[in-house]
Amino acid sequence: MDKDTVQEYLNRCSKCGGCQAVCPLYGETQSEPLVARGKLFLIKNYLDGELDLSPKMMDLMNLCLLCKACTVQCPNSIPVDELVLSIRQEIADQKGISFVKKNVFQHLLQNNGRLTTAAKGAYLYQHSGLQWLLRKTHLLNLLPGGIADKEGLLPRMSRSPFRAQIPQIISSPHPRLRVGYYTGCLTNYVFTETGRAVLQVLKNHPVEVSIPEQWCCGLPALANGDQESALQLARRNIEAFQKAGVDVIITDCASCGSMLRQYGDLLGSEEARSFAGKVIDFSRLFDDLIDFEPGEKEVKAVATYHDPCHLRRGQGVAEAPRKLIRAIPGVTFQEMKEADRCCGAAGSFNLSHYHLSTKIGRRKALNIRNSGADIVTTGCPSCIMQIGHVLELEELPVQVMHLAELASKTYGE
Amino acid sequence: MLSNTVIKEIKKIAGKENVLTTEEELLCYAYDSTPQSYTPQLVVRPRFAAEIQDIVKLANKYRIPLVPRGAGTGLSGGSLPVEGGIVVDLTRMNKILEIDEDNLVAVVEPGVVTLQIQLEVEAKGLFYPPDPASLKTSTIGGNVAECAGGPRAFKYGVTRDYVLGLEVVTPGGELIKTGGKTVKSVTGYDLIRLYTGSEGTLGIITKVYLRLLPKPESKKTLMAVYDSIDDAAQSVSQIIKRGIIPVTLEMMDDRTIQCVEKHRSMGLPLDAGAILIIEVDGPRVLLDSQAREVAQVCSDCGAREIKIAETEEEREGIWAARRAVSAAVVQIKPTKISEDISVPRMAIPEMVRRLKEIASRHNLDLVIFGHAGDGNLHPNILCDRTDREEMERVEKAVGELFKAAVELGGSLSGEHGIGTMKAPYLKVETGEAGFEVMKRIKEALDPNNILNPGKIFWGESDG
Repeated sequence: MDKDTVQEYLNRCSKCGGCQAVCPLYGETQSEPLVARGKLFLIKNYLDGELDLSPKMMDLMNLCLLCKACTVQCPNSIPVDELVLSIRQEIADQKGISFVKKNVFQHLLQNNGRLTTAAKGAYLYQHSGLQWLLRKTHLLNLLPGGIADKEGLLPRMSRSPFRAQIPQIISSPHPRLRVGYYTGCLTNYVFTETGRAVLQVLKNHPVEVSIPEQWCCGLPALANGDQESALQLARRNIEAFQKAGVDVIITDCASCGSMLRQYGDLLGSEEARSFAGKVIDFSRLFDDLIDFEPGEKEVKAVATYHDPCHLRRGQGVAEAPRKLIRAIPGVTFQEMKEADRCCGAAGSFNLSHYHLSTKIGRRKALNIRNSGADIVTTGCPSCIMQIGHVLELEELPVQVMHLAELASKTYGE
Repeated sequence: MLSNTVIKEIKKIAGKENVLTTEEELLCYAYDSTPQSYTPQLVVRPRFAAEIQDIVKLANKYRIPLVPRGAGTGLSGGSLPVEGGIVVDLTRMNKILEIDEDNLVAVVEPGVVTLQIQLEVEAKGLFYPPDPASLKTSTIGGNVAECAGGPRAFKYGVTRDYVLGLEVVTPGGELIKTGGKTVKSVTGYDLIRLYTGSEGTLGIITKVYLRLLPKPESKKTLMAVYDSIDDAAQSVSQIIKRGIIPVTLEMMDDRTIQCVEKHRSMGLPLDAGAILIIEVDGPRVLLDSQAREVAQVCSDCGAREIKIAETEEEREGIWAARRAVSAAVVQIKPTKISEDISVPRMAIPEMVRRLKEIASRHNLDLVIFGHAGDGNLHPNILCDRTDREEMERVEKAVGELFKAAVELGGSLSGEHGIGTMKAPYLKVETGEAGFEVMKRIKEALDPNNILNPGKIFWGESDG
């Protein structure tokens, strides 16, 4: 976004304060610098030359979930999340990106081999007894910044990546559609069961599935102001799926999905627009393109659904997942209060701001409890990680899983 | 700049995590919902009345201005630190202390968001009627300090009609309680009414006792479209003569309708002179016949189209038009100068005529909407605050519209307060003597002028 556009949006803010009512950060802190109105005023002061990019300023600009709750309610239609991203980009340009982040975005994420090695390292840490030892001896408590708490957030890594366990093409006798499956990093390295569930469901429908070699969607880089790395990843993914020749590209990750759908605007090329136009959430496959055909098995459960920010507000998908849950035999769907309020995960926000993120997450956990459901489903692995963590903190006997996992249970083994 | 001693003492009082001093944080407490901003020297976020007492005593000792602040959604500049000093942010004092279902009273801290109170009491079958447009974010403390109104005011009254008692930290740092859970109380001067609407100049409210009502069983919404605003005004008066008191009687003028339609395409008639949105509430069995009677009156008075909402979706559809106003009007120009005059109900058509005349004479964009039942109009001048020459014309027009309102027996402000925005015009309505009475009250209670200086009395015309 160029500076004139940013200025024009900033001038639109009438400071009505309506964003206070929906901002999860403001809800927990009542702190004006954390709400959109405050941030926009600070950005304006920076652009007018009244403020520097001080450490405090940079901290405050990082304190945003990018959940878009303020954006959709803004009476003056200000895209607050995009303005926050643009100032983060400015910070990255002016101040540079931290050495660690730069390495992750420019090297690790661009190279699947290195990423797999890193994931294996984490797997070894968790399974070699080192994790057990560190936890048992409370050695983690010696580290700064609440690392001991955050360590509990770290998901259990998979022994080998999901994509290494499956063929690149899964054919069907009479395919009506060629479906490309973008698995996302979390499914690939952590929640392989989500990937298996997606395939299980797809196998029971007349589609051919193609899972080409693919890369990180680039959102972590973009959210941290490294647009160049994000664009490079985008080009790689577009090429990979172009070669695969698919009709539609599904994702099991709301965040990846919203990023992939932005490729057209980010790159501006014809190929990018065509790619972005094909990307849909897993649940929408059964809403728009083919009829959901459940299996014979009844799934006895009361299920509720958490709207990922990047699905509800990022892609405007709200009905399709609910429709799918209702169509699963034996499942009773129970709506929860504030289903579309951010769970606090927000990419790596739960690592960088653990305590605040957990406060937001606890509110989600209570809403889940009050719904009376024994399963909470959602459409984003980050949300699954966060919700799983806060359910554990609240000691609630509720299972969290991807929508596809619940749907796959109906096919039985 | 505040001395280190002062900062240290405040940190000791409220805890250092509740004292903000960085430039970035201070800027976020420099504004409210007006186009102005003034940066404070410090922000303190107390949790208890006792902390506020200590802060007030300290401010007196060092002669530092104190500005109480809720959500910062005011439209008159009431929470702006125009003379610098310390902003006392009350949003951490946000507990509903008690909902007394037998005595129909809610006891709340000042930082509770008004909608929160409404939802909690409605869950118990009770009702807190005042509904300022900002109710999803504004705090009850701010509502009391500015005496907020809202669309339901015509039938149910404004905030002051629901304040039964207050706990207040005085400008000297004493904690007083006035009123309480009783409906009747005539113990000396009515301090509750003095503090309500005092805009933070006479004390800092730390607890509020609110009167509650049983929740009306149901409501019914109508929309009537008119060729002329006179017919709309006539309808309002005739409805009331029939003994029907609607909860809301919202009016939009021709320019507002065109704006909303252009922005949202809701099927509103572009050639209409005015639209009324009328809502009646009460026992379900009475509402259908009441709605039909209202519709008949509107039609007799010349409404060319009347819609009665039969379902919740239809009701939402009608209200969507009214709610779209704020967003729609800023599409014309980015800055919205939102005024808040009120006139006797029957003077509405004349007031609208004068407003339009003033706007056209100064070549300004003006939309008018508001609460037709109680004569409270919101003329909004749409302009660009970066255009100096235009802003000068706006200022002239604003002065003239206040004068017109007072000439018609009305008031400068129905529900926003005087603050800084209307301070220069206060005497137009109060006169010299009335102004003096108010000012003497302020001087007597706050001799050091610690609390919210620069508000109400310190307009330019005051010299």
